[in-house]
Amino acid sequence: MKTRRFIEDGWFHDFGHGLALTGGRCPACGRIYFPTKQVCPACFATDQEKIPLSHKGILHTFACSHMGPSGLPTPYPIGFIELPEGIKLFSLLTRCDPWDRVLKVGMEMEMVIETIRTDEDGNEIVGYKFRPSGEIPS
Amino acid sequence: MRAVAIAGIGGIRFGKYGDRSLRVLGEEACIKAIRDAGMKPRDIQAAYVGNLAQWEWGQGLLIGHSVLREIGITKIPITRVENGCATGSNAFHEAWYRVATGACDIALAFGVEQMTVASSEKILNVFTGRQHAERDGDMGNSAPGLFALMARRHMEEFGTTRNQMAMVAVKNRKYGARNPEAQLTRSVTVEEVLKDRMICDPLTLPQCCPRGDGAAAAVLVAAKIARKYSSVPISVAASVQVSGTYPDDRSYTCFDTDVRAAEAAYKMAGLGPGDIDLAEVHDCFSVAEIVHYEDLGFCRKGDGGRFVEEGHSGIGGKIPVNTSGGLLSKGHVIGATGISQIIELVRQLRGQAGGRQVEGARVALQHNGGGFIHTDTASCFIHILRK
Repeated sequence: MKTRRFIEDGWFHDFGHGLALTGGRCPACGRIYFPTKQVCPACFATDQEKIPLSHKGILHTFACSHMGPSGLPTPYPIGFIELPEGIKLFSLLTRCDPWDRVLKVGMEMEMVIETIRTDEDGNEIVGYKFRPSGEIPS
Repeated sequence: MRAVAIAGIGGIRFGKYGDRSLRVLGEEACIKAIRDAGMKPRDIQAAYVGNLAQWEWGQGLLIGHSVLREIGITKIPITRVENGCATGSNAFHEAWYRVATGACDIALAFGVEQMTVASSEKILNVFTGRQHAERDGDMGNSAPGLFALMARRHMEEFGTTRNQMAMVAVKNRKYGARNPEAQLTRSVTVEEVLKDRMICDPLTLPQCCPRGDGAAAAVLVAAKIARKYSSVPISVAASVQVSGTYPDDRSYTCFDTDVRAAEAAYKMAGLGPGDIDLAEVHDCFSVAEIVHYEDLGFCRKGDGGRFVEEGHSGIGGKIPVNTSGGLLSKGHVIGATGISQIIELVRQLRGQAGGRQVEGARVALQHNGGGFIHTDTASCFIHILRK
């Protein structure tokens, strides 16, 4: 039987409003990281507080890959998303066909939780992607 | 620190050598370099070997000792280093450091890699590091992807064009065609580059360096004894290594490592970008060369596209870049790449570069970036060489 699993345990948590990406906030200096870290690389403090990261961010740049790992059909668009927490997040982009017309540097993007790829047995590996914010273009 | 010079160089043409062992490739380059320096193997007092990932390709450990035993170099300290795509430069830097500190007078640096025996998927996995799941190959990330993302942002912010990026490949392939040690020897046109297979939009195949097999070696000596071994010893005026800061808060159009390494290297050499007669820079992808022009101070930030378009990085221009044909022509043979760049510059400074000679070249800069973590290269090496 085919299964679905998250690409990494601990990336997603329901803080009360559905699943969100889990960031780590340094209790000493307040910097926020994804994924959470054992210590804050800036001040070496421990015990990061788990907080939900914003669902929305700004598209810093994008590209479209015609090569990739097995189980991820090509071509697929990728980008860096700037989250308000000060994090630049590498992400697959989705629901943006045709990508070269729809995607614009500086546009608002919104996180969705979707299948990233399938493993060698056909099981789905689930993670985050970003799509243009607002109404899904038809 | 005391002055250090390069007394000997030796390399083999990068290509596909699946029928030969990694060890034999390394031997050949080392033999050439030691002969070029007019030395005997027993003259070598320390050796550093750059080799990225032989355990991944299934070729075992202790490659340095295996190579050097075959050519009569034993007993001395032999150390393998790895530093991503800058692995070869790291070996060179360590050899320089050992001589510069006075720990020894003569050191050998060589790099060797055999990549064509590995699958593309394995290489993708090794290259994305597998230590940061949020940005590894399984998430759709790749080296071409990271540079395509930089290309798009550079286009958006500075008006850099697909044509300008293609011109980097055209220039480097033109010089590669004049380099008997290049892997790709056919020159290409802008139209051909743009129409070729898309790898990661906006980067097409000729804008992405091929991989390969090969080796490169150099013998470094204390400057005070250099004349004993070479009629034209080339001084190492600067040898700098830095690591990344992986910033989240900057525009993705700059290598922070480049900027800091260049500043340190110019200071160490007592020179500035205006003193550089030619350079070999890490053109793993066309856009990378454009960004390096800017970050190394060859032109202002954002002007890199125009710098190549106006011919400033060609032979006869302000600072000829990658006269060897660069990684785009030679291929990127990880462990050997950095030392291969040094070899080209030594040839140029000796006046032995044949049909791609930069006339009157006296000062040359080598730049090699290594690996990618998040938004920055993990390591960067810059060497400034002087006749």
